[in-house]
Amino acid sequence: MRRKPALAVSAVTVALALGLSACGGTSTTPQSSGEPGQPAAQDKADAALTGVFNPSTKKGGTIKLANSGDWDSLDPADTYYGYSWNFIRLYGRALTMFPGKPGAEGAKPVPDLAKELGKPSEDFKTWTYTLRDGLKYEDGTPITAKDVAYGVARSYDRETFPNGPTYLNELLNWPKDYKGPYKSKGADFSSAIETPDDKTVVFHLKQPFSGFDYLTQMSVTMPVPEAKDTGTKYQEHVISSGPYKFEKNEIGKGFTLVRNDQWDPATDPNRPALPDRYEVSTNVNADDIDNRLISGDLHVAVEGTGVQPAALSKILPDPALKARTDNPTLQRLWYTSINPTVKPLDNKDCRIAIQYAADKTGYVAAYGGTTGGEIATSLLPPGIPGYQKIDLYPSPEGKGDLNKAKEHLAKCGQPNGFETNISYRAERDKEKKTAEALKESLARVGINVTLKPYPLKDYFSLYAGKPSFVVKEKLGLAINGWGSDWPDGYGFLQQMTDSRVIRESGGSSNLSVRIPEVDKMFDQALQEADTAKREQLYAAIDKRVMEESVILPGIVAKSLLIRGKGLTNVMVNDGQQMYDYVAMGVQ
Amino acid sequence: MLAIVSMATFAIFFLVPRLAGATAEGMASRYVGRTATEETAKLAAERLGFNDPLIVQYGRYVKGIVAGAEYDYGAGVEQCPAPCLGYSFITRQPVFPDLMNRLPVTLSLAIGAALIWVLLGVGIGVLSALRRGTVFDRFAMIVALAGVSLPIFFTGLISLQLFAYGNPFNWAAQGGYYVTIEDSPARWAYGLLLPWITLAFLFAATYARLTRAGMLETMNEDYIRTARAKGLVERKVIVKHGLRGALTPIITIFGLDFGLLIGGAVLTETAYSLNGLGKYAIDAITNQDLPKVMGVTLLAALFVILANLIVDLLYAVVDPRVRLT
Amino acid sequence: MTAPLDVPESASHAAPEAVAAGAGRTAIQGRSLGQIAWMRLKRDKIAMTGAGIIVFLVLVAICAPIIVKLFGHPPLEFHREMIDQETQIPKDRFGGIGWDFLFGVEPVWGRDIFSRIVYGARISLLIAFLATLLSVGIGTVLGVTAGYFGGWVDTVISRAMDVFLAFPLLVFAIALAGVVPDQAFGLSGDTLRVSLLIFIIGFFNWPYIGRIIRGQTLSLREREFVDAARSLGARGPYIIVRELLPNLMAPVLIYATLLIPTNILFEAALSFLGVGVRPPTPTWGGMLADAARIYTVPHFAIFPGLAIFITVLAFNLFGDGLRDALDPRGNR
Repeated sequence: MRRKPALAVSAVTVALALGLSACGGTSTTPQSSGEPGQPAAQDKADAALTGVFNPSTKKGGTIKLANSGDWDSLDPADTYYGYSWNFIRLYGRALTMFPGKPGAEGAKPVPDLAKELGKPSEDFKTWTYTLRDGLKYEDGTPITAKDVAYGVARSYDRETFPNGPTYLNELLNWPKDYKGPYKSKGADFSSAIETPDDKTVVFHLKQPFSGFDYLTQMSVTMPVPEAKDTGTKYQEHVISSGPYKFEKNEIGKGFTLVRNDQWDPATDPNRPALPDRYEVSTNVNADDIDNRLISGDLHVAVEGTGVQPAALSKILPDPALKARTDNPTLQRLWYTSINPTVKPLDNKDCRIAIQYAADKTGYVAAYGGTTGGEIATSLLPPGIPGYQKIDLYPSPEGKGDLNKAKEHLAKCGQPNGFETNISYRAERDKEKKTAEALKESLARVGINVTLKPYPLKDYFSLYAGKPSFVVKEKLGLAINGWGSDWPDGYGFLQQMTDSRVIRESGGSSNLSVRIPEVDKMFDQALQEADTAKREQLYAAIDKRVMEESVILPGIVAKSLLIRGKGLTNVMVNDGQQMYDYVAMGVQ
Repeated sequence: MLAIVSMATFAIFFLVPRLAGATAEGMASRYVGRTATEETAKLAAERLGFNDPLIVQYGRYVKGIVAGAEYDYGAGVEQCPAPCLGYSFITRQPVFPDLMNRLPVTLSLAIGAALIWVLLGVGIGVLSALRRGTVFDRFAMIVALAGVSLPIFFTGLISLQLFAYGNPFNWAAQGGYYVTIEDSPARWAYGLLLPWITLAFLFAATYARLTRAGMLETMNEDYIRTARAKGLVERKVIVKHGLRGALTPIITIFGLDFGLLIGGAVLTETAYSLNGLGKYAIDAITNQDLPKVMGVTLLAALFVILANLIVDLLYAVVDPRVRLT
Repeated sequence: MTAPLDVPESASHAAPEAVAAGAGRTAIQGRSLGQIAWMRLKRDKIAMTGAGIIVFLVLVAICAPIIVKLFGHPPLEFHREMIDQETQIPKDRFGGIGWDFLFGVEPVWGRDIFSRIVYGARISLLIAFLATLLSVGIGTVLGVTAGYFGGWVDTVISRAMDVFLAFPLLVFAIALAGVVPDQAFGLSGDTLRVSLLIFIIGFFNWPYIGRIIRGQTLSLREREFVDAARSLGARGPYIIVRELLPNLMAPVLIYATLLIPTNILFEAALSFLGVGVRPPTPTWGGMLADAARIYTVPHFAIFPGLAIFITVLAFNLFGDGLRDALDPRGNR
């Protein structure tokens, strides 16, 4: 359910190729990855997309990072930002992880604390993990299976840790009335997680789930020693299980990581742990970050969402600067929900009229132009396995087909157009621009749209995500976006199109899709053992939603990242969709 | 006074949403993350005390300031010593240390700028008054008027553009640059130079106008005539008698201005991306983080009150007619 | 204070008596006071320039649709052909400035900056005028009440003014403008936002004028002509309306004129911070906020900035001149 800015999980080589061609014909030939022995790599646009830029195994140095905002939390139970899941691997180890490898390899879970990937029971309802030997916390105490179980149990308490993902809350067979280890002190939760000995963790699921290794790579399975747990204050000093530990941490300002001497590289094949230090400052002005990246004063913009518009207009015309950028295509769709609960959009033809009337080049422009995204014609981004090209409402260059739009308007009994509202998150300039663009392009066929900004914080819980509010305020259109938590069709589509995630009390990011057939197909997919068949189902869901025209796909997001000077081992892989912080080193 | 300010803040945050139809759970739901269930929202509403009548909630808050409060952080209970301004609804960090963290930034900004604007404003004002009607006077007063007419978020933008982002100069620090004075006084001043100057420009203009008016008025007073008649040197007449009289209204305004500024130079901090109290306030409002907003408004009001107090004391020093007994 | 350097010393000395005596006598004198002021004002070239600009701006605001039709493009119309599709900034080096687009175009959509400035004047002036009216209304009523009746009435109102003056006003205004829902009090859209801003700006600014009026009332109350009226049996309301208010017209007028530019800045600040009138309706503050995001395109910031500057300056110049003309005691 990651709605927050940064997250996006994967894109496969197909997407990368598309990204390259869309990026305006830079003469980029795919670099062969990992040529050792090159002292300083030549700057080249998109060099970190196809392989590893400036590969190196040299240890030492300090990487300086900056965040224009702040972490939702540094606590492994309480964080949902994509960059945070990327970064947290430096100071925490989960049962499995996305390794710091280039391309698609970086999006396949590999064992981390566990010796090997989870062993499922026949019905995919029980998953067993065995821990490696010799695992220790930063204070030298051993990491046990109980600590992993405790970590998951405390993450169950979403009142204390409101930010983290809730997949395990919903999927595991928790005891009735269980409220987490603080509120239900000492309660037995072995119906959900069992630890028969110090090395074994067994998860009991309520329903089959074939992709469980994708869930255990999330930071909620990182071990937390119960004796050192301080609830909401734990984020002030997370006890490290990874190669780095906190030296100093001032929440709201920044923190420093230094090497954790208790971490044994022999237990960890996935982390090269190159730099000696990480210095992170938070709440730094975003434009300032860009300028410092360009000048070389800073290595990484932690959020990994790409440069600001001001920097964009500086970088793109300058070949030397452009050579230092990467422009990955993300697994994130920016779209607009078309709410069939609002008249006259209850009529399918009125909804289709919107598909034809919208000028999607405006959507691209709102997101910063061709480096910000490419036009989407259906829900699944090209990188997701099972993606099929679906374009039910074609128009030249995506600029809309006004004749078709008018045809459908006539069919729905509104030949002169109609009035409706469009909601967006007030703090997001790009969404404001999208709304302005849609207003402009829909007006071409007489559909008059009024802009309705709502506070970002409450957008889903109180406003656009609350069905009764949508009806009351006649929010026919709602600007929305989605990036999946793990790279498969289920992870991407379920939260945005399964009608059962819609709650009357608000909070769902699915605003408009209520198609019983789609729900059924999801259930089918969960029980389908064959990957190819599952993927077909996802494509079918995509098509079905587009037929109903309850979502207007806007663009598949792209971001323009700038490589800090002196970085080594730089890669944008499918697991992180930004620079992989575990792999990165510095000269 | 503080009570009224805090009550008004409370009212804005609770009454307005209530009037708009939000329930306790609805209001709590914005602080429990998006994935929260109704159950979680209910628990949060309980923890944050949203179900209690407004007056009880307010009472609890005041009690926290006076006597401290206890805060449940999940794994245990922590004592938050008085003055406990509560814990952020969102980051769950105590508000008071946050404020103390931000205060130096705003204080640095305000003090530096105040120094410049008082010296510059009063200086130009006096000169203008003494050379009344000359080209200097006219020019200075027009510039001053222009100064008051420029919004800081515009001058901020332009000054950054001209002097920080290299169009054409690269002399000053870019937006968001701040180093504490303990770390390096030189870099501290370097980072704040532009904000100081633009802010001072805005205020200097007002002060120049006020000083000039005040000087013109006092120089016509009888006691000045007396002083001159006594045969005092003109310079002494101006400084000791003229300026003193003219300063009284300036000090009043300065107290208010400075107090308000420490409470949060919202626009300046936004324009230059400085993480001071003003930006803290804006961010808190955006996130509807009531304890933070309460904390910052209370602090701001406190500063205004303190400043007024100091002004009253200063009167005694400047104006011989006022004697505090 | 800037101005009437050419007013002879004697003229200013003559005035206080005129003020003190004027209202006490017949209406003819009252008019002549106005005439004197007008004469002074007319001679004040700087103030008259300010007045000229104000008249011009008001005309621009009123005739916005006609002006835009003649010299520009509709303020919401996109001109993406003017924009580079990769960088999203105007293709032309000077931001598209030319005969077609007098002030150039905005990045991304290529909307006509000239038209947006012209339409922005409407919002800016409308809100500033009405908010000032509100402040002056509240301030005068409460100021006169406090000053005339004294006692506990005065204490309560004066306390209230102190509280308001100590408030972090901007923070409060933002909080209030931010929490009010999109439809309230039977209004919606721009109408609601404009009314809300008028209310917020007007409401928070009354103590300044209230204080001045209170002070003036306090001194007027003790004057002979009021005593005279009272001894003739006149009651409070009559005295306030017939005796005090006419004498308060001068300060009210002066401070109203000087409050307008403050309010223009206030509105611009709120729009800049994103709690003003909602986009895409053009406002000067909102345009500056947009420009701050793309600081690499200078003309985008300069025109709205200049618009605010010139408008505020014009009001300040005129207000100053007016003060000098009406209240020559200050003769600053």
